[in-house]
Amino acid sequence: MNVAEIEAIKAEALASVAAAETAEDIEAVRIKYIGRKGLLPQIMKGLKDVAPEERGAVGKGANALKNALGSALDEKLAALKGGAGDAPAAAFDTTLPGRWRPRGTMHPISLVIEETVRIFSRLGFTVAEGPDVETGYRNFEALNTPDYHPSLDHQDTFWLESGELLRTQTSPVQIRVMEQQPPPVRIVTPGRCYRRDTTDATHSANFHQIEGLYVDTDVSLADLKGTLAYFAHEMMGPDVKVRFRPHFFPFTEPSVECDFSCHVCGGDGCRVCKQSGWIEIAGAGMVDPRVFERVGYDATAVMGYAFGMGIERIAMIKYGIPDIRMLYDNDVRFLTQFR
Amino acid sequence: MKVPVSWLREYVDLDATPEELADKLTFSGIEVEGIHTIGSDYAGVVVGEVRQIEQHPGADRLRLCRVFNGDEELQVVCGADNFEVGDKAPFAGIGVTLANGFKLKKAKIRGEVSFGMLCAEDELGISDDHEGIMVLPRDTESGTPLSDVLGPPDTVLELEITWNRPDCLSVIGIAREFAALYGTELKLPEVTVAESGANVEDLVSVTIDDPEGCPRYTARALSDITIAPSPLWMQRRLAMSGVRPINNIVDVTNYVMLECGHPLHAFDHSLLEEGKIVVRRARDGEKMVTLDGVDRPVTPDMLMIADAEKPVAVAGVMGGAGSEIRDDTATVLLESASFDPRGIHRTSLALSLSTESSHRFERYVNVETVDWAGNRAAQLMQDVAGASVAAGMVDVYPRPYEPRRIELNMARMHKLLGVHVGVEKAVEVLESLMIPVVEQGTESITVEAPGFRPDLEREADLVEEIARMYGLAHVPDVVPAARIVPLASDEPTRALFTCRDNLIAMGLLEIMSYSFVPESLLDAFCDSDKTSRVVLPNPVSADHAVMRNSLVPQMVECLGRNHSRQIIDATLFEIGKVFWQDEKGVVDEEDRVCIGVMGKAGRGALEKRTAVKDDEVFLWAKGIVEGLAEAQCIGPLTFTPVDHPYCESGESVSILLGDKVLGFLGLLRKELRHRHRMAEPVAIAELSMTPLLESVFSTRSFHPVPQYPAISRDVAIIVDENVMHQDILRVIQGAAPVELTGVDLFDIFTSGGMRQGKKSLAYSLTYRSFERTLTDEDANGYHETIKDALKSELGVEIREG
Repeated sequence: MNVAEIEAIKAEALASVAAAETAEDIEAVRIKYIGRKGLLPQIMKGLKDVAPEERGAVGKGANALKNALGSALDEKLAALKGGAGDAPAAAFDTTLPGRWRPRGTMHPISLVIEETVRIFSRLGFTVAEGPDVETGYRNFEALNTPDYHPSLDHQDTFWLESGELLRTQTSPVQIRVMEQQPPPVRIVTPGRCYRRDTTDATHSANFHQIEGLYVDTDVSLADLKGTLAYFAHEMMGPDVKVRFRPHFFPFTEPSVECDFSCHVCGGDGCRVCKQSGWIEIAGAGMVDPRVFERVGYDATAVMGYAFGMGIERIAMIKYGIPDIRMLYDNDVRFLTQFR
Repeated sequence: MKVPVSWLREYVDLDATPEELADKLTFSGIEVEGIHTIGSDYAGVVVGEVRQIEQHPGADRLRLCRVFNGDEELQVVCGADNFEVGDKAPFAGIGVTLANGFKLKKAKIRGEVSFGMLCAEDELGISDDHEGIMVLPRDTESGTPLSDVLGPPDTVLELEITWNRPDCLSVIGIAREFAALYGTELKLPEVTVAESGANVEDLVSVTIDDPEGCPRYTARALSDITIAPSPLWMQRRLAMSGVRPINNIVDVTNYVMLECGHPLHAFDHSLLEEGKIVVRRARDGEKMVTLDGVDRPVTPDMLMIADAEKPVAVAGVMGGAGSEIRDDTATVLLESASFDPRGIHRTSLALSLSTESSHRFERYVNVETVDWAGNRAAQLMQDVAGASVAAGMVDVYPRPYEPRRIELNMARMHKLLGVHVGVEKAVEVLESLMIPVVEQGTESITVEAPGFRPDLEREADLVEEIARMYGLAHVPDVVPAARIVPLASDEPTRALFTCRDNLIAMGLLEIMSYSFVPESLLDAFCDSDKTSRVVLPNPVSADHAVMRNSLVPQMVECLGRNHSRQIIDATLFEIGKVFWQDEKGVVDEEDRVCIGVMGKAGRGALEKRTAVKDDEVFLWAKGIVEGLAEAQCIGPLTFTPVDHPYCESGESVSILLGDKVLGFLGLLRKELRHRHRMAEPVAIAELSMTPLLESVFSTRSFHPVPQYPAISRDVAIIVDENVMHQDILRVIQGAAPVELTGVDLFDIFTSGGMRQGKKSLAYSLTYRSFERTLTDEDANGYHETIKDALKSELGVEIREG
């Protein structure tokens, strides 16, 4: 017995499996080759007579034959059983619709908030929250926005009779946290904000933001870029890139605006990115030393970055929602698209 | 701000295309929001002279003009009436195709033949103005191709200038940025004023009463002026920058403002009492009519420019009508000054008056170059209005500029940017921006902030300059290292996420509504809570006038809105904030969850055809509340009847945890339901979030799983209809031995064979011992005790068999 002979037996055996038409045929093949008195046990018995240098290869070949044939037989048998004749008669109407209460749906704004929080929590950020009704101090002054800054104007801010205001950004939460806790700080702050915008397809008098703040002894603009790049591909897709443009915010210096490459066209230009290949997503920068001074941090010893993004904007871009008002209309046919 | 590229090229050599220029600016911090091409090749359009105008015989609104095109006089029908005989205007003859694609043919208009047209700016691609035809200066020669008059098409960059960069609110400011970006030279215009005649001090005096409000005021006196339209090139530049040309003197002040960022003002000198300028606060009761013709009361916190008697301008905001340049003005007092940004901002806000001037002054105007701007304007007035300039300039400068010194530590900058920039590079960048470096070491450099850069105050400002000029693209994106922040916990947020997920798992859809509601909506739900509502003093609209004090009204609105769109079954929830104020006006807020159930939401697909019953909808909502509480690891909840203004009497309950009220649950008042056109019962519940979130992550602990089998016994009882399930439970539990481990209601029967006013309830009671296997006798004994208690305490009838 040699390797070539074994290969020949294997071919012959597999051919007869293929030719088998009934379970009985299959059983016959099984008995002929791997049954107790079949060919294979004989080969194994004869192994001792094979020349020592060939013995290993022959043994291996025989085993392979046994395995291949075994699974071929099982498969064929299963195929014969399944394929032969009609499906078993159903005892009842199995085609009726299933009966279990379906899961509900999360609002797209919540979807984006939760996803954003999850992404940043992988980077060690925890969530901090604050009230919607804030003091002018935390919303403006503490964030280095001078009292004659245009954004303080009544036309942009909802002031209340109490002298407080509806926060125009979630940044006051950063102040709250830093007032209470020494560095290091690494937080994200999702929440609702208010501006006196007339409602249209892209503006809403209340909207949601999520901001991030990281303060430590050694934090750089490069860390900020890396953090936002990580968020970009986790949120929008693995090929999404980020770029920075210099900008101005009173509470950061240097300040940047952060664009994501368009997740729809990959940067070639399309309707979503208005042909530019880029979509403006975040405002960010290195925390202004004056903000640290306001909360009693040693501005010469700590540094940090902060960033902020509009939740509705991300939801609209990510899901292709054309009008911000749809998010507040709550049509069930809209809501159920976000299962 | 709009900046014509041709104007920029006067101060800096730029070879790049407008798109490249725009990119360069955008990535160094000045966002280009638009690139607009102004004008076209004007092929075939020539200067035409209007020689005769007659009324069109067949149309009131049309005129018949005879237009000379350099060769011949042609009849042209024209609909505009902003010109007269002798005026010059762009003329397009037959066969010419205009920039807007319109091709001229010989046409009969209301019976009169027109051999071409006089063009408006929009037809030439100059602007979108179609207010009338474009009137050209009378000294332009008829028949000259328009392209020779207007030059090649121009490009205007539309810029977003951030609040910190007032220096960029000028063509020279932008040119300075370009010079730095391209490493070329900034070429400022040569300013020379040929003075003649009287000394300025003999004509003008200036007093500053409020040096805080006005650190510097300069004045020049000009005479022999002829008021006329300014030259076409100046008009074109103003128009492209978005400023309407008026006359040569006013245009020069605007031109210089656009050029160097200094707002200027020209007074008719003859209308100033005693030729005096006093910079002072307004006096009580003073009023003045501003250039826009509005009579404005001014207050003592506003800075005025006054003459010997009265205010003649609101300083830095707008001039007064009483001293404005008129057609016969011959002498001018030219103001160039600097004002305190805060004061200008306050005044502009108080008067609701924002101008090109206030826009610049409230951001800061360079006090050092106030005189330069005045001289530049005098020079141009000489050029374009034939003015004679009196010798000298009155220059009152009580608060001279003191440059700030700022040190930049290289190591700290490296740490902040995450990228190394050497001393040489830093010096090169700063000097290219015309920020003088006064000390240069190996580890730090010191600069002096120039007067045109009020934003440079500290090291961080210099780091920003270097970052934006060096290029943020060079900043690597470093994979962030997540160092642990000790004690950081976001359990409240995770508890909230869990709560949302639990509601969704029960099949509810999440909605989100505005925080503002119309007053009428709250009134309809409850009109006794008016004093505690937070009303916005400055709402955007009546629909968004009050902060919501409950999530329910909008939930009902939302159900109603969906119902009107044929969605008749829905189970929704919202998590959001509500707001109220106490009697002292202190505002408070709370997170709540609201649940709304409409229609047959709790039924299976095959059970939807029979009408839904009130208690059914109520119990679905109750089931959701109980299920939520269980999922949030609180409970058991109890429910006690309560009157709620949103609900029908007897159809609402308080939700309690221990003795703490979490909220309410009930069926919506019919009248409110009908207001939103909903036919079937609607159940609503509203709960405070905080208690729901407190126990989500409480420690779980193990209890032994029962070892011995349970025995169950059923009991069916007939009771008066007003006996509540809860009453029965109380009796059962009161009489039960410790072995009673479960009581389950499994049937309710009210109609059919029941006597009037009675109902039948069937319970399955489970008995089990943790120590041994119970015998039938044990179970029977317990069961009899309980039955006896029910009979004696509630007078129930036990149904046997």
